[in-house]
Formats: sequence, C-alpha cells, structure tokens
Amino acid sequence: MNATARRHLRGLAILTALAAIAAVLRILIDRDPRDGVISLAWPHPKYAWVRWTALAVGATVGSGLATSGVLLQALLRNPLASPFILGITAGAGLGVMTAMYIGHLTGVTVASSSVLPALAGALAVMGIVYSLGQRRGWLDPVSLVLVGVIVSAICGALIMLLQHLVPAGLHGEITRWMMGRIPEDTPTASLVLVGGLSVAGIAIGMAMGPAMDAATLGDDEARSVGLALGPLRVWMFLLAGALTAGAVALCGPIGFVGLLAPHAARLVLGPHHTSLVLGAALAGIILVVGADVARQAIDFDAGRMPIGIFTALIGGPAFIWLLRTGRGQA
Amino acid sequence: MSVRVRDISHRYGRVQALESVTADAAPGRITAVLGPNAAGKSTLLRCVIGALSPAAGCVLIDGEPAHQLPTRKLAGRVAYVPQRPQVSAAFTVREVVELGRYALAASRRRIDEALGELDLNEIADRPFPTLSVGQQQRATLARAVAQIADDGHLVLDEPASAMDLRHVRSSTALLRRLADGGATVLVAMHDLTLALSLADECWLLDHGRLVAAGPTTEVISIERLHEVFGVGFEWIERPDGGRVLLPTSA
Repeated sequence: MNATARRHLRGLAILTALAAIAAVLRILIDRDPRDGVISLAWPHPKYAWVRWTALAVGATVGSGLATSGVLLQALLRNPLASPFILGITAGAGLGVMTAMYIGHLTGVTVASSSVLPALAGALAVMGIVYSLGQRRGWLDPVSLVLVGVIVSAICGALIMLLQHLVPAGLHGEITRWMMGRIPEDTPTASLVLVGGLSVAGIAIGMAMGPAMDAATLGDDEARSVGLALGPLRVWMFLLAGALTAGAVALCGPIGFVGLLAPHAARLVLGPHHTSLVLGAALAGIILVVGADVARQAIDFDAGRMPIGIFTALIGGPAFIWLLRTGRGQA
Repeated sequence: MSVRVRDISHRYGRVQALESVTADAAPGRITAVLGPNAAGKSTLLRCVIGALSPAAGCVLIDGEPAHQLPTRKLAGRVAYVPQRPQVSAAFTVREVVELGRYALAASRRRIDEALGELDLNEIADRPFPTLSVGQQQRATLARAVAQIADDGHLVLDEPASAMDLRHVRSSTALLRRLADGGATVLVAMHDLTLALSLADECWLLDHGRLVAAGPTTEVISIERLHEVFGVGFEWIERPDGGRVLLPTSA
C-alpha cells in the first residue's frame, strides 16, 4: 500500500469515527426543559424515533450539501464554489417559497413534496449562473462567483417579497424555515427520496473521481488528456443542483456546509476526488449533526435555535482561516 | 500520420484571429509556429488539438477532422502543452504526470521515464502549485511525454518560456529525440534563435494570416522578419561558423 492510500484510509477512518461520535451524541443528548440540565441517555422508545429522524435528516442534508460542494469546486476549479455562494441554495429556497405562496393563494398544494419546487429553483439558478459566468465561451471563476452572489441576493429579495405578501401569521414559520432547521418530524417519503439521492450522489461522485481529478487541469489540457469536459460538467452540475435542492426541501437554506466540508476533508485526505467525495460527505455529516447536537445544548430561553446560525458561526470563521492560511485549494 | 491544416479561419467577435490558413506538419519533423503577439499562434494550436472548432476549414489529424474526433481517441494521438499550465488541486508532480495516462492504459514505466527525461525525480513528490513556473512547465511537458505515442503528435505553446537555460536545452533535445523517433512536433515560440537551431520547418503568422511556411532557413529572412515584427534584425557570425539572429538596436 502506498503513502497516498495509507493517508486516505487513515483520514477516512478519522472522519468516520467523528461522524459516528456526532451521531451517537445526537441520539443520546437530552436537555431538561425545566432546569436546563444536559444529560446523555438512551431515549425513551416512545420518543426515540424523533431523534432518529433528526439524525437521518442531518446526515442526509450534511452529506448532500458537502458532495454538492465538492462537485462544484472541482468542475469550476474554484475553491470558493459552493451551492450557497453560487446562489443554488437561494434558488431552491425561492422555488419552495413560490410553491408555498401559490398554495396559500389558491388553497391548492402545488407539489406534495418540496423537492420538486426546490429542484426547479436550483436548476433555474444554475442555468443563469453558468450562462452569465462565461466570457468568450470560457467559464470565468471570478465572474461565476460574482454572478452567483448577485443571483443569490436577487433570490433572497424575492423570498422576502413573498414573505411580505403572506399573512402576518405565517411570517414566523417562514423566517424559521429561512434560517435552516432540522425537523424532527419529516414525511418518510421525502426523507427516503432525498436520502436515496444523497447516497446515489456520493456513489456517482466517487465513481467520477478520476474524471474530476483530470478536470482540475485547464479546459484545453483536460480535453487533451482525454476528458470529455462538457458532458461531465453538465451531469455533475445537475447532480450538484439535485443534491442541494433535496437538502433545501428538507431543511431550508443552510449555509457554509457545501463550502467548508470539502476543504476540511481535503486537509485530511488530499486532492484525490474518489476519496474526497466520501470524506467531504462525512465532514458534512459531522458539521450538520454536530451543529444539531450543539443547538440541543445551548438555549437562550427563546426556543431551539435554527441550525443555520450554528453552521454560519462555525463555517464563516473557519473559511476565513482557510483563506488566510492558503489551505483552501479546489 | 500527419497534421494538415486546411484553409481554417476563426474570429473572436470583431477580431479575425485566423484567416484562411493552410499548412502541413510532417512526422519526424519539428515545426515552429512563429509570429508576434496576437498573430493567431495559440488559436491555431487550439484548432489542432480539437479544443476549438474553426469557423471555416478544418484540421486533419491522420486524415480525420480534429474537432470531430472523440476526446479519448484524440488523446491517444495528440498531446498538448499549454502556455500557462493549470492544475487547480494540490496534486504532486508525479500525479500530474500520471494524468497524461488518464484515457490510456496505465504505464508506470512511461511515468518514470517522463519524470527522468525532464529532471523531475527530485521534486516528484512536491505539490504542483508550490513549484516555480519553469518547474511547472517541465512537469506539464513530462505529462505530455508520458501520454504521446512514438508516432503521435506533440503540440506545444511556448513550453519553455519560463525555463532556465539548462532545462531549455534538455527540453529541446528531448523534442528532437521524440521527432527522430517518429513524432510530429508542432511548437509555438517567440525565440527566433531557438527556432533556427531547433525547428526543421516554420509557419510564420501575422494578424491571423500565414505569411510563409517551409524549411526554417527559407522562411526566416531578415526582410520577412522586419515586415512581420516591425523590428530590424541582423545575422551575427559565431566563431564555430554558425549564425545567430539578433534584433538591431535601431
């Protein structure tokens, strides 16, 4: 076994152990609502499914967003690329909000699950960002990020408009959804659908690892070594959009996971995408489930905090550290 | 086995990058593509490697249009070294060279030989982004060497522009060995003296047009270079009987 394989095995073992610790804590952690005392105990069977559901949602969303981030960073050759930065998360959120608003106006449920509206919004934004992020037929990394940030802001404004238009009684629910949450009661069909999507996304991403390694070369160089870059980009973008849409449909927009998890995994595993995709998925699980554990423990007497606050507070400074230390390579 | 450029034209917006260029590069020969900045050299090479589909005309690789060949099939025939190598991940030099075999059968022997040919063994485990530009150029050339078949086509866009003199010499000697082994070598460059010493044939471009093509000693003349580059040149005799081409001070 060579040094690279040893590094991959060691890194994946560490990430798997950390993900397992986060998962066990999520099942065991309990906070007494009367005195705020935190304890670790196996939950009463009557309520255990609530915690298992929350764990499954957190793992699904964390791994999906992280895998999406790896695909985008590799194919755009841009360490800043992530579903959140490129506006895909906001696009999916706008899709869900639009469906909710139409449902409110007409009394008709537009889609039984949020997944389809989220997917429509995500793909629409990806199409716009991909088209406007090109110069002379070349993907320009700086233009791409700038367009993504602007499209994300526009989607955010449209979401606020929809929020303004709905009755005041719905504002609180929409605001909590916008901050990202890990629901403890999710329709099984949605969870199975998005969970299956995340598992398939990880498997496809790993299978495409060697191609994504070649895609880190310049466009002409990648083609010259035999990579059909155009089709690879299209399929991997669609996969990244679907993974993001699934995550947003379950939990609302959660930032920084798709940005930070790939970089964290890269620090441990190095740049090879076959292992990096799996490692990033594990890092995403650690981040989201770990944040969910933290929000069980921290209480400011204002109810359970939205998970998006935790991921932003952890992810933002961590990403600045990556940028400042130059450890963030795509 | 040859590279045939047939009446190709291409424009970027209002800029005519190439205009009715026709030329041939033969196996066993080194062909230099010369011309001032924005003459169309890189655009021409991008057409040859199939990355760019020209607006008119075509490039034939062993008789087949380059831009219509499947990328994997093309990779078995044409290797490319760009002007500015790009690797956006922290792969080691060895891993970058291994990417040359991405679409081909893995060959540790070819990788080791390419690393040795380009004097990269000492830095084979260093991350590519930490190298100097000259070292990155050597690693990229090694990747192409690991990829190319003996009778394949090697397309290079100013591959040694940032290399030190010792490695320029060893790299040009390597190109000569590849050509002598049956490869077609097509290399864009600015160094006219190097072109004179290295290239068997020359294509001289100006404003997207092919000014002249043929044996290097016939294409490179003081009058023609003055016309194309807008600079005077003179031949300097060397003690060994050779000649060096230098721009005049005026």
